[in-house]
Amino acid sequence: MYDLMFLFILLLLGYFFGQMAEKRHFRSIIKREEEYREILTFAKRFPISNEGDQKAELVGGNVVISVDYFKRFAASLRNLVGGRVTTYESLLERARREAILRMKADARRKGLNTIVNVKLETASISKGSQSQVGAVEVYAYGTGLLSSHNL
Amino acid sequence: MEYKNFKMPEDINVTKEHPLKNFFYLLLGVASIMVATLLIFFYSIGYVAKWIPFEKEVEWLQTIETSLDGDKAGDFLRELVFPGAAETVNTQSQKNKLRAEEITAYLQSLSDQLSLAQDLPASMKITVHYIDQPIINAFATVGGNVFIYQGLIDAVSSENGLSMVLAHEIAHVNNRHPIVALSRSLGLGVMLSLVTGIGGNNLSTNLASHFNLLTTLAFSRKQENQSDVDAYNTLLKYYGHGLGATELFSVLVESDQASRLPELLNSHPLSENRIERLNTLGAAIAANCAKAPFSCVLTKLPEFVRAPIGQ
Repeated sequence: MYDLMFLFILLLLGYFFGQMAEKRHFRSIIKREEEYREILTFAKRFPISNEGDQKAELVGGNVVISVDYFKRFAASLRNLVGGRVTTYESLLERARREAILRMKADARRKGLNTIVNVKLETASISKGSQSQVGAVEVYAYGTGLLSSHNL
Repeated sequence: MEYKNFKMPEDINVTKEHPLKNFFYLLLGVASIMVATLLIFFYSIGYVAKWIPFEKEVEWLQTIETSLDGDKAGDFLRELVFPGAAETVNTQSQKNKLRAEEITAYLQSLSDQLSLAQDLPASMKITVHYIDQPIINAFATVGGNVFIYQGLIDAVSSENGLSMVLAHEIAHVNNRHPIVALSRSLGLGVMLSLVTGIGGNNLSTNLASHFNLLTTLAFSRKQENQSDVDAYNTLLKYYGHGLGATELFSVLVESDQASRLPELLNSHPLSENRIERLNTLGAAIAANCAKAPFSCVLTKLPEFVRAPIGQ
């Protein structure tokens, strides 16, 4: 009985704080994406044009976001029946966009306005350990350029 | 050519659906499947357990008693299967011990005769344990062990009444109710902790709580009724009449009120049903005795089995 009560309290805490953090994070992401919109990002290895390129430097942004208890529980239920793990989808979406934003912030700090060859790396922390709430890491990196063309 | 980073729509990677809606659908689905599985498991294990040979049951019990002897875990298990037994032995004085042995011997011989009347298989040996406590209760557990409390002996007014109680418990053993109850609670306990992970390392405590349910003898109403019928038939065969059979019901109603059974399994209609059946049975006995070629008389209980005055 106490086990169940404990579980319920954990779920409630996880849901309440997790959702609050997620909503706040998404609001902040959407706002900052607007701020960094003029920094162009390309998946291509090389810039469209080398004309006027004055500077090239590695830029990167890294983020680690923890899974809350509610998300983990919902995902473990999903594990039994299969299908979209929607609670993790939003988590990873946040992590990817935050990492790209931090990479763009890095580029702006270095005085760059274009990033080519953008790549994303993900890793999960506390992988394999059973009864621990894990966290996801996303690292976004690329070659930042100061490009004068088309700007 | 001009390049731009477009603003992406928000609902591509993240669903607009409320997370709780998704969660409750999942929970409901998984829970109903789990409950269905557990129910199937519960009933099938009850069915299968009947086929466990009685010898195996006894053997298993002996393994617990001997292999864990002197061990704390062993004491713990023994206490769970035979509650109050260890305590009684410890608190008994030498004089009380002699009296307890005498009563045990009396109960054992009565039980042996009743077993014979009930056509118990030769391999099924009933062992009666007497517990010197003023609790109105009796119960049967695995291995053909039947426990009778002093309180119950004082509560019945004749040997017939006591025989009805004994025959009732013997019928439980004969119908394999204890092993079914044990298998069910153990099986469910293991299955639940496997599925939920609740308990985890505390599997033993989990099992213990299920054992506890068993030892307080939470048999189903159907099993109780079956044992009542068997016990009454045993009485008819042993005494030639059913007089005194209703004493059991009054006793059981009283012990229900003392409520050593868990609330969950001890539903209220139980006592009421018993009172109702007490009346119909009483009428049947009276009718039976009226046309009997011999006189119906209650057999007296020997004086020494009553609790000494002042105790």
